[in-house]
Amino acid sequence: MAAPCVDSVRRDDGELVDLLIPSIRRFLATEVDGSAIDENSRIPESVRVGVAELGLFGMTVPETFGGAGFSLWDACRVIAEFGRVDRSVGIMLGLHAGLGSRGLIEWGSPEFQAVWLPRIAAGECITAFGATEAGAGSDLMAIRTTGRAIEGTQNLRIDGEKSYVTNGGFANLFTLLVRTPGIGGDRGHSLVCVPAGTPGISIGKEEHKLGIRGSSTVTVAFENVVVPMSNVLGRPGEGMELAYKLLAWGRTLMSAGCAGAAQGALDATVQYVGERKQFGRTIGDFAATRAHVAWMASRTHAMRALIQETAESQARGESIEVASAVAKVFCSEGAFEACDRAIQLHGAVGFLESTGVARALRDCRITRIFEGANDVLLLRIGAATLGVRRELDVSCLPALRESADRVRAFDALLHREMTDLRKRLGVMAVRRQLVLQRVARAEICARAAAAAISRARDTEKDISLARHGSTALIEEGAVWLSELGRAERDEASASELSAMIYGS
Amino acid sequence: MVALEEEARRVTLATLAEIAQTGVDTIRGGQRLREDLGMDSLQSLELLSTIGEALKIDLDIEEAMGIQTVDDACAFVTRKYKEQKADGGPVRG
Repeated sequence: MAAPCVDSVRRDDGELVDLLIPSIRRFLATEVDGSAIDENSRIPESVRVGVAELGLFGMTVPETFGGAGFSLWDACRVIAEFGRVDRSVGIMLGLHAGLGSRGLIEWGSPEFQAVWLPRIAAGECITAFGATEAGAGSDLMAIRTTGRAIEGTQNLRIDGEKSYVTNGGFANLFTLLVRTPGIGGDRGHSLVCVPAGTPGISIGKEEHKLGIRGSSTVTVAFENVVVPMSNVLGRPGEGMELAYKLLAWGRTLMSAGCAGAAQGALDATVQYVGERKQFGRTIGDFAATRAHVAWMASRTHAMRALIQETAESQARGESIEVASAVAKVFCSEGAFEACDRAIQLHGAVGFLESTGVARALRDCRITRIFEGANDVLLLRIGAATLGVRRELDVSCLPALRESADRVRAFDALLHREMTDLRKRLGVMAVRRQLVLQRVARAEICARAAAAAISRARDTEKDISLARHGSTALIEEGAVWLSELGRAERDEASASELSAMIYGS
Repeated sequence: MVALEEEARRVTLATLAEIAQTGVDTIRGGQRLREDLGMDSLQSLELLSTIGEALKIDLDIEEAMGIQTVDDACAFVTRKYKEQKADGGPVRG
């Protein structure tokens, strides 16, 4: 399973991915049957082989190890193509290129990289990542899986269990976040790579899921699993810090899958509303339909723009912890709503599995939960918005000057509100979850609107997408800001009511 | 003044130990909240809001977001505690 497409072409940045995308589209159109993958709850071996033959398992592996050395943005473009057609395969690849292998690429020891990266580049090794445990979801501090140094050796013994491990059923290599007491500090965590064949690993049965049914999701148990200390990524004890960086990379890739899914929903809808006739006209002619289509198209444009901004920021060496969380929330929610609108515009036929949009909706649902539940990410984004001032870049084409000015005016309003909240609440803002979430939603609208304008190319369509999308986003953002004043009342009311409900 | 400093440090370390689920005696000044104690930004703010509540002082969120180590947290809390005690008490709390 060599990597012919990737290895055979030298390139400038972005050029190879341009050359590769037509091959990916052909592969997806001819070899990937999303409906069958969903029905059978498994990705056929032939699809995994096809992905490997395209060189995609090695797309982010450095060229020195035989990979393509794709940037995050290049990889996002590939994942978006898969997201458009089938999320199960997209998530298998995205998880592998993100959480599964990125840690090894960034922080693996030279000897460990020399063994595994060529195998990944050749498509002979698929990777998985384990952080979540039964008692530790969004709260990573609650992790109990432990790696302990074995006295008198250079080895680490791992005991514990990881839940919801994507790719876990067939992965060749796991990257785990484990507690490593006594290694790099009493309270330290470390990222450690564990080959799947290591004695002491047992793989649980595949979970039966609402969506992404073809992707592998299992519990993996580790009992007295011994690996060399050189399998630890980065400095021992600094795993939590590295995990946050890894999650930021993974969330950006997942956002790209969401943008692809939204594009797929839009494509299906445009085709359907152009064919379906009611009252003597195609339903695409009705103003209400056009409003949905315009929303879907402009939101998808904003998603792509936000992902590109995030990926390019990463390429400049900037932290993308907040930007990737913003992209993840915006794209996962946007994709779900795009699929929902697609079903609505398909009418009753959209509710049938044969149309494909129903599956797309089911597949999208998990993206609001995994790699950081949106509810928690909103709190982090809200805290960051209050705690760290930022400049919003709204560069634009001359045709979008007016739209850019409106975004800047909204951003100024957001700044004034933040200044007021900082004064009124200080660090106590962290106790006000509805305030933080509404702040986050306003911030997401500002960033997405700015990106939609800044990333518009000089075409009539892009300019319209940016204008329409940014206007809608600013209006949404203004609603969230106006809701800030009601947060205290809403929190009190919900608290009173839930006390009665829990007590009854 | 020494008593205020000691009280601010004692409350800071006790709260930190409770949130990080560890003993006060295992906390070291140079430990980083995130890398060494596994606390993310929200947990760091939770820590400071609990300390602010216990000492009845206001803590600025922007300064709080810049705190990286246990020593940073102690110094920040002590400074605010002394300032606000000298001014006759907190604006909030």
